[in-house]
Parts: sequence; structure tokens; C-alpha cells
Amino acid sequence: MSQNAEKVLDHFTLFRSPEYVNMFENKKTFENAVPAAELQKAVDWTKTQEYRELNFAREALVVNPAKACQPLGAVFAAVGFEGTLPFVHGSQGCVAYYRSHFSRHFKEPTSCVSSSMTEDAAVFGGLNNMIDGLANAYNLYKPKMIAVSTTCMAEVIGDDLNAFIKAAKEKGSVPEPFDVPFTHTPAFVGSHVTGYDNTMRSILEHFWDGKAGTEAPLVREARDSINFIGGFDGYTVGNMREIKRLFGLMGIDYTILGDNSDAWDTPTDGQFRMYDGGTKLSDAAAAVHAKATVSMQEFCTPKTLAYIKKKGQEVVAFNHPMGVAGTDRFLMEVARLSGRVIPEEITRERGRLVDAIADSSAHIHGKRFALYGDPDLTLGLAGFLLELGAEPVHILATNGTPEWEARVQASLDSSPFGKGCHVYPGRDLWHMRSLLFTEPVDFLIGNTYGKFLERDTRTPLIRIGFPIFDRHHHHRYPLWGYQGAMNTLVKILDKIFDVTDADTNIAGKTDYSFDIIR
Amino acid sequence: MDLTLDEVKARNAEVITEALSVYPDKTAKKRAKHLNVYEGDKPDCGVKSNIKSVPGVMTIRGCAYAGSKGVVWGPIKDMIHISHGPVGCGQYSWAARRNYYIGVTGVDSFVTMQFTSDFQEKDIVFGGDKKLDKILDEIQRLFPLNHGITIQSECPIGLIGDDIEAVAKKKSKEYDGKTIVPVRCEGFRGVSQSLGHHIANDAVRDWVFEKGGEKAPLFESTPYDVAIIGDYNIGGDAWSSRILLEEMGLRVIAQWSGDGSLAELENTPKAKLNILHCYRSMNYISRYMEEKFGIPWVEYNFFGPSKVAESLRAIASHFDDRIKEGAERVIAKYQPLMDAVIAKYKPRLEGKKVMLYVGGLRPRHVIGAYEDLGMEVIGTGYEFGHNDDYQRTTHYVKDGTLIYDDVTGYEFEKFVDRLQPDLVGSGIKEKYVFQKMGVPFRQMHSWDYSGPYHGYDGFAIFARDMDMAINNPVWGLTKAPWNVGP
Amino acid sequence: MAGLRQIAFYGKGGIGKSTTSQNTLAALAEMGQKILIVGCDPKADSTRLILHAKAQDTILSLAASAGSVEDLELEDVMKIGYRNIRCVESGGPEPGVGCAGRGVITSINFLEEEGAYEGADYVSYDVLGDVVCGGFAMPIRENKAQEIYIVMSGEMMAMYAANNISKGILKYANSGGVRLGGLVCNERQTDKEYELADSLAKKLNSKLIHFVPRDNVVQHAELRRMTVLEYAPDSKQADEYRTLAAKIHENVGKGTIPTPITMDELEDLLMEHGIMQAVDESIVGKSAAECAVA
Repeated sequence: MSQNAEKVLDHFTLFRSPEYVNMFENKKTFENAVPAAELQKAVDWTKTQEYRELNFAREALVVNPAKACQPLGAVFAAVGFEGTLPFVHGSQGCVAYYRSHFSRHFKEPTSCVSSSMTEDAAVFGGLNNMIDGLANAYNLYKPKMIAVSTTCMAEVIGDDLNAFIKAAKEKGSVPEPFDVPFTHTPAFVGSHVTGYDNTMRSILEHFWDGKAGTEAPLVREARDSINFIGGFDGYTVGNMREIKRLFGLMGIDYTILGDNSDAWDTPTDGQFRMYDGGTKLSDAAAAVHAKATVSMQEFCTPKTLAYIKKKGQEVVAFNHPMGVAGTDRFLMEVARLSGRVIPEEITRERGRLVDAIADSSAHIHGKRFALYGDPDLTLGLAGFLLELGAEPVHILATNGTPEWEARVQASLDSSPFGKGCHVYPGRDLWHMRSLLFTEPVDFLIGNTYGKFLERDTRTPLIRIGFPIFDRHHHHRYPLWGYQGAMNTLVKILDKIFDVTDADTNIAGKTDYSFDIIR
Repeated sequence: MDLTLDEVKARNAEVITEALSVYPDKTAKKRAKHLNVYEGDKPDCGVKSNIKSVPGVMTIRGCAYAGSKGVVWGPIKDMIHISHGPVGCGQYSWAARRNYYIGVTGVDSFVTMQFTSDFQEKDIVFGGDKKLDKILDEIQRLFPLNHGITIQSECPIGLIGDDIEAVAKKKSKEYDGKTIVPVRCEGFRGVSQSLGHHIANDAVRDWVFEKGGEKAPLFESTPYDVAIIGDYNIGGDAWSSRILLEEMGLRVIAQWSGDGSLAELENTPKAKLNILHCYRSMNYISRYMEEKFGIPWVEYNFFGPSKVAESLRAIASHFDDRIKEGAERVIAKYQPLMDAVIAKYKPRLEGKKVMLYVGGLRPRHVIGAYEDLGMEVIGTGYEFGHNDDYQRTTHYVKDGTLIYDDVTGYEFEKFVDRLQPDLVGSGIKEKYVFQKMGVPFRQMHSWDYSGPYHGYDGFAIFARDMDMAINNPVWGLTKAPWNVGP
Repeated sequence: MAGLRQIAFYGKGGIGKSTTSQNTLAALAEMGQKILIVGCDPKADSTRLILHAKAQDTILSLAASAGSVEDLELEDVMKIGYRNIRCVESGGPEPGVGCAGRGVITSINFLEEEGAYEGADYVSYDVLGDVVCGGFAMPIRENKAQEIYIVMSGEMMAMYAANNISKGILKYANSGGVRLGGLVCNERQTDKEYELADSLAKKLNSKLIHFVPRDNVVQHAELRRMTVLEYAPDSKQADEYRTLAAKIHENVGKGTIPTPITMDELEDLLMEHGIMQAVDESIVGKSAAECAVA
């Protein structure tokens, strides 16, 4: 018996004790387990070029994708508005999944309701689910707005949200003037970033185009303010606060469209806040008058920006700008649009970042990286790595389009460090596994699922992306702005130094390089 | 200040009335049937269950796919489970349930991987059977050591009329009778995960037992062969259970389904006794094996030393004296450890009140473990229990316990706010709600990434975890000192 | 898109819906209207007379081979036919697989996003049989077709279908703007066909917008994959379609919210016109032989 009341053994160590190891070995008798030699042969085979070619010849099977489905993005976007309850029309299990997924990443509650459609609704349509669902959600959770999206079930049977919501209002589920923007978010089209885009557009359309025909559309009067859209972003808490700080320093009159930073970072003080912060609904409506809209993530917002542009605003899109040049471009555009100057304080921050890069670049220069994630994030990160003199050798986005591929390629072509680097749109992490075996790199950058690649290929993982389930609180720190770049730089450096130390710590063998100064 | 039993009952009844008052009438009427104060002499908890959730109330339930892929089939380690449909379902359930296993992932084991057909619009419009056919070929090419494949249907499959059974049969023939199991666990079926368990059980019956045919036995039978049914090995639960069964002289020939394999499913008809932990999710297949193969089954509870000892004896009662003595030997062996654990933690936990809201068996099964630590469960409920679960619950709960079936986010928050327990045990979606309120919390699905909690080894961890949740110094810091009133 | 008229033709399968719609749209084109036809029938036969083609490549088949609809350009799917009528076919799966209704949703979303409707005076949806599911109701959602024309005849099943389609329209009429434009009776030469069609129309709170007489010239034209307007522009039948087209053109904003009737009322209607006898309950369910014995 290894368990001990004084020093309780966790699963980490408990199962390594001899009685358990012995038990595992005996269990194999009943498992029809693959003989060790055959298993080892197969393990080695998966590391080969031959396997890589078979792997890349896949046409139908997807293994360990780095993308989620549209409604997840819909929920993300909706959470960013004041007092808004996301309502997903369709099967209820989906909503349980979205809520869990966000809670595991942000370590925060995520409120969202489902219309709980079951087999009868699949046959007869989900109108009654909408009528009852809106009424219940409204009475229970007292939202200021309910933002409706759909699961694939409702999409396959073709439920019409517009008609359903009108019918529900006629039945008195919610008061006639109550805001219920809606959008169709089929899970079999695009990914979570598409759902974000559809929802953001639908909310703006709702306020700007007369609330589904119930009011006169707003007439835009050009003002000087700037709208800002962050896109689907696992670091939204830290990033939004950083943007607000920077805009504050610049004295910009701005509206953030979709501000999740408070909703997913509420205090523990004895009170559960179902809603906190978010873009005020009146501000969302007034945003039509803005001079321009800046999107941090172009591939998260194509339809939203096209819609805003049609209203007469200038739209400027970035690809998750990171690092010195990325942040420079972003701030200069914001300065141009707002007519504000970038203050000395920010210029000094820039200088400090450049200083830090200069101090540390020897450790990053020429290091080879593989990275994966959402289209904009990978673009931004690749740009920063090139700036640091690192080589982003494999860049992969499961939800990357040919357009994304071209954009990344252009970025690679613009730098000598981009030579020999490759872009992989539409591929998954099982493809990445083959890449890491056949063309190894020094470090991998990705979300939590990257730890499986780290285990298999021994490529050290730097966690940047969404979701991050197995490290805490990083979403509270920005990746954007010079400060965000500094955080990212430190994240990368810490891993590099840890790996270097771990690689030079055998006493009497390799520890001559176990330096205390690096 | 402790309330009398009558006061507790009156307060609980009042709390229910208060919660219901906010609902529209139609919904209040429906929800009222799911909430009750347990009357100690009744044969069940007095609540309706296994009924459709009301739209828009923030039910905590999942779906049939979650019940099949996520719970029953997913942990079978040497089979590949395809999440068949759009990408999301497989993504959100990817490696999230902590079904521990031993194996080389991606080569001979596949539990913590996400295989999906990633349906696109064209697959919906034109049907996905051809794609599925191709996927099965690609799996065979890239993962040749897999021992079988299951097709876990997501919502669209049933709506567009795909014939996954035909594809499964065709490909099974092409691959020399390989086990390929189509599972009709579309998320819109049934009212919760529960139907998914049932569908998954039926799929084992139809596609492993009945279609699988006789397989050459891997081992010689003994009179002491048992199968663990309904343990998903979360955080290693099945292991800390198996070790006790083996120590008492039994031989475990199969684990369903945590750290399980296809061969173990196939072996099970050779068991002399099926021992069933999660009744809710695997009673169906246990009953089938009883009818078809004449294998008796016994329910057991491995949470907390009282229930473990009781269960070891109940299991042993199906065997000869050698096993009965073995059970006593095991109980005696671990007694000092249990005494030490209780001596250490009971003084820190005595009298603490707990509210639970979990899934299959835990809303009742863990009560004994809390009581071993001197704690009291004052409210409990099932996400997807049936009436038979609520009947079984009466053996565990005390008179006056607040019972809530398929609780809504709103109700749960209100109940906790009014009952002020010292600990809430529920899931990830609930965890942060209550922690924000300053209430200590443990996830009782995933063991909050700890575990195992089963068996004697598990109880030590359980006790330590409950202590660290309740006696965490952080709960004394939630109020800023300048905001604390007189 | 101000002034864009969106209309849809619904009707029981085999009723001559595609023939009627294409001839009518050809006549509208002759009047100088710019027309876009959106075929919403997996059979993809809504544009053959305009294009002189067996069937055009459909949006969904092209999307399936290209990968997804996002990979398509409007030019790939749009063909120009008689009098510059623009034609697209949604297409769909073979019978028995997949989800044709979803295909309709996909196609219409694609066309709207690609700006297919720009510059058109009329968009006409030609929809399979009945409003069987949410997908086939797509053309009658808000901001889609404003008027629905139901092609029917004096046959019981055609009238039954017309009534059913009215139910579908009613569902969306209250919340959206869709209206029943009228019934088009495609003569089958059944007893008292005009009267029946006319009273059904009235019962549905609509009107029989036109009674199209049967004429073999339609079949002759069809064998050449042409509309009558093109094949025999001077024929009497061509004039019938011109009349129908003119009536539809005039009918803007005059659609009504239908009042579908029950099966019993429908049977009463047939009895009123002497088409059906009052049902003798004693013969229901009896074979001819059994009746002869009795």
C-alpha cells in the first residue's frame, strides 16, 4: 500500500507504485494488447516521411483539428455586449459544451441558454422552443438583450429565426421593443471565427438597420469617434484592457464593439455577476456614426467590416498585430483615423520593447518554430517571430483559407528569416505531428492541445492560443500593444531558457553550460 | 444556529416556492414537479425526472452524443471513435473527461484524440455516407493497430437520413469482419445524456455481442472472474477499485469502459459476476448480459470506507469463503489508513454542509464518503437521473433534504444562496458561479482534475480535496476589509 | 434593391409548374423586365426552356466539386438564356440522400451574398412540390419572395397541395411580408375546372389570377426545349402567358394572407361542384368487388 494519510499521493504518483504497475501489466492479458515489438515498429513508422505522405494524402478524415464550430464564436461575440444573454437555438448539449469550453479556458462562469430542441422539434420545427425559451430566459435572467444563434440541428431543418422571434414577440415572450438580434450560425460552415463575424454583424445590423423592421433605420451622421473590434480572442481580457489603456493615453474617442474583458474577469467577492461590463447597447447603436472601424482580426470580421463599410465608414483591418512593427502600424493607423498623436509615454513603451528585444535576441535568433492557431493570430505571431529573427518554419491553421495562405506567404517572402518556411491551410494537428517528426523545429507555439505534440515529438510547447486549459490566468495578460509584445517575448524566452537549462543539467556531463548568467 | 428538522423542511419548501415565483406560469408548473423536500418515509424523492428540459432556463444537461461518445464509448482505448458530423462536438469533448488509460496514443490507443468527419455544407446537402466510407479507409491506413471503430452520430446525421449502418456493414466486410459500430446518438434524441448511454449500450449489444460472433478466448476462465461495469476511470477510479477486487482474490477480466478495450467488452460474457458502479449508464447492458448469458450483476459503491467495506462484502457474498475472507482481509488491511485519514480530516470537516448536483450515480453515491468525514449532504439532484435513481437515493439521503432534478442555473444559485452550504459539488459550468459567491466548490464530474476518488486509495485524496476546498484561506479574503460592515 | 419584385411558384409535382413559370417569365422579359430565375428543385429543370438545355450545372454540384460555396464565383453558376433571362439552379442531392432543403438555404444565401439580385426587376423562385420542410420554405421567408403563385389544376391532389402551400405561406405571412399572389390554374380538362379553381381561390382569400387553357403547342415547344413565347410567339397560347404575365406585373402589393381550409371543407367544395358525392360511410374502405356484392 502506497497511499498515505500524512502525504496523500495524487494520481501523478499513486499509479507509479509497484502494486499498480504490476496490475497494469497483468491487465494486458485481457486487452488483446499489441505485442511490444510490433507496437514499437508502428510508433517508429509514424515518424517517417512515408507516413507523412500518407497522412497528407488524407481527403476526408480530420484528426485533432485546431478549430471549433460557429456557435462558439457566436456566444463569444454576444458575451461582449452589456447585459446580453447568448441564446442558442437547437440541441441543448451544444450549449453545455460552449459553456464548459469557455469556463475551462477563462476559469470563469459563462452564461448561455439553449432552446433545448429534441426529436419532436426536429420534425415539427423549433418555433415553440423559441417562444418558451425567450420567455423563460427573459424572466429568469433579466437580460438587457438576448442574442440568438443556431446549432447545426436548427440549421438542417431550416428554422427561420426572424419569423420565430417575431412570432415569439407576438406571443409576448419578451416585450416588443426588447432587443433580440439573431444570426444563423451553421456549424458545418466555416469555424468559430465565422460565427463571431456573423453574430457581430447581426448585432450591428439589429441596432443600425431598424431592429428587424420594427423601427426606422438609423441615419448615419459622420462623427469623429472610432470603433474597435477585437475578434475571437482567448486573451480578450488582457487585450481589451490594454487597448483601452492605449486609447486612453492617446485621448481617442472610441467604442469597443464586443468588450468581453469584464464578463470573463469578475471578482470573487461574494457576488456572482451574471453580466458585467460589455459594450453598452446605446453605444453599439451610436457606433454607426463613427468615423471608422478598426478590426484587430480581419479573418474574424469580413462580413462585419463589409457591412460597416457600406454604412459609409472607413474600415481598417489588422491580422492580430504583434511586436514592434505590427504595433507601430496599428497605432499609426489609429492616430491617423482619430487625428491624435501617439504620446511620448507610448513611444517610451515602444523603446522599452525594442530594448528588451535587443537584450535577448541572441537567444531567439535563428531558432526554428512551428505554430498553429486561428488565421489572424498565426499571421500576427509569424510577423513577430520574423521580427525577432526567428524562423516560423511551419505555420498551420485548420480554419485557414487560401487567402490566409497567400497572406502568410507574403509575410514570409518579405523577410530573409521566412525562407524555407511553409504555410498549411486547412490542415490539422495530426499533419503537424508529421511535420514535426520529419522537419523538426526547436519550439512549437499553440494552444493546450499542442501538449500532445510536445509529448510525441518532444518539441517544447509555448502556449499561445485558444483554448489554454492547462495553464492559468494567461488570458489576463495582453498580447497586443508593446506591452503585449513584451509579455509574448518573455513567454518565449522563459521556455527557451528552461529548455536550455534542462538540456545542460547533468552533473559532471553537460553542466559546464549550466550557466547562471544567460 | 442549527435549525430543527421541521424548520429545515419549512425553509426548503419556502425556497422552492421562491424560486418558482420568477418563472412564467407554464414553466413554474413544469419545474415544480422536479423540486421537492424529501420526506424520510417515502419510497422515492417525490420528483419527476427524465423529462425534457424547459427551453431557455440554462439546464446543465448535455445530449445523447455526450452520453455515448463522451461517456460510454469514448474511453474504450483501442478503438477509434469518430465524431461524425460538424467539428464542434468532438472538439469540445476532446480529452475533457479524464478517462485515464495506459497506451501509446495515436498508435495503439486513441482516447485523447479527436477524430471527426468535419462535415461541410456539401456533406449535409449531398449526404455524408461516401465521406464516411473514405474516412474508414483512411483510418485503416494511418492507424492500422486500431482494434475497432465506432461512428458517433452528431445531430445532422439523423436529420439528413444518412445510412451509417450500411456503411459500417460494408466496410466491416471489406476489412475481414472488423468491428465497426454505428451509433445513433444524435444530440437531439432523448432529453439528456441518458438516452445516449442507452443507445451506446444497445450498440454494444448489437454490434459487439450479437454481430461480433465468437472470438477465440484470450485466457482460461476461473470461478473468480468479474467485470467492472460503469467505471470510466476518471482520474484512475477504476484502477483504485480494481486493485481491491484483485486483492480480495477476484480476477477482473474487463473494465467498462475506463481503460477498457474491445477485447474486454468481448470477454465479458465469460464473467461470473458483473459488478456495476454507474447504474444509470450501464444497467441496460448488465440486464442484457443477465438475460442472455445468465450473468448476475450487483451494484456497488466505492466512495468512502463505509460504503467500500459494505460493497466488498456484497460482492464477496456472490462467491465462496475464499473471496469472503479476502474481502475481510482487504477491509482490515486498509482500516489503519482509513482511520488515519479520518483522524486527520474529520476534525476539519465535521458538521460541514454539502450541496450536490451531478450526473449518473454521484448525487447519491458520494453521500457516504462525506458522512465518513462527518459532513452532511443537505441538497442533491441529478442531471439526467430516472425514477429508479431517485428511489435508490432514498437509501442515502436524510429526511428534509432538498431535491432538485435537472436544476436550472437560476434555481441552483437561489438554493445555494438560501441554504448556505459549506461546499458545493457540481460541474465546471457551476464551479465559478459559486466560487464568485464565496462558496467553496469541487467539481464532482472530473474530480476537479484530481482523483481517483474510488476505493481506499481514492478516499484519502477525496478527504484531502474536500479539506483543501473548504479550509482554503482564500474564503476569508473575499471581502475587502474596508467594505466589511459592523 | 428598391423595386425588386421577388416571386415564387409553388405547386404539386407534375402540375406544369416549371413550364408555366418559364413561359410567364419569358413573357415578362418580353415586356422589358429583367429576370433572374432561381430554380429550387433538386431535379434542376426550372430553366431548361429558357436555356435550351437539358439541365444547367447547379450551385450545389459545382460547390461540391469545388469544395464549398465560398469557392464559387457568380459567373460559374449563372447562365444567360432567352431574352437575357439569368438562370441559376440550386440543385441538390440524388433522391434518398442528404438534405435537399438545406441545399435551398445554402444556394439562396450564396446568391444574396454574391449580389446576384443586383440589376434584376424580378427574381423568381421555382420551388419543388410542397413546403415540406424549413429549407423549402426559404423562398417565403421575410425579405425573400413577396408573392407566391400556386400552380394548380382541378384535380383533387393539386387542390390539396395548393391548400397545403397556403398553410406554409400563412405561417410566415404574419411575421414576415409574404403573401399569396394568386392561383394559376393549368387546365387539365377536369369537370368544372374553372369554377372549382375559382372557388378554391376565394376560399383561400385569394383569386384565380389566370386560367391557362390546355394547348398542345406547349408540348411542341417543350420538345424543342423552348418556351411557347419563343417557339410560337404568335400563337394564342403565347398570348395566354402574356396575359398572365401582365396580371402578375399588375398584381404588385395585391397579395393576400391566405386562409387555408380544412380537409373537410375541401371535400365540401368538391361536393358543392358535384365532383364528389357525399361520402357514403358504408362504402369507405371496401374494394370494388365488395361493393358489387353489397
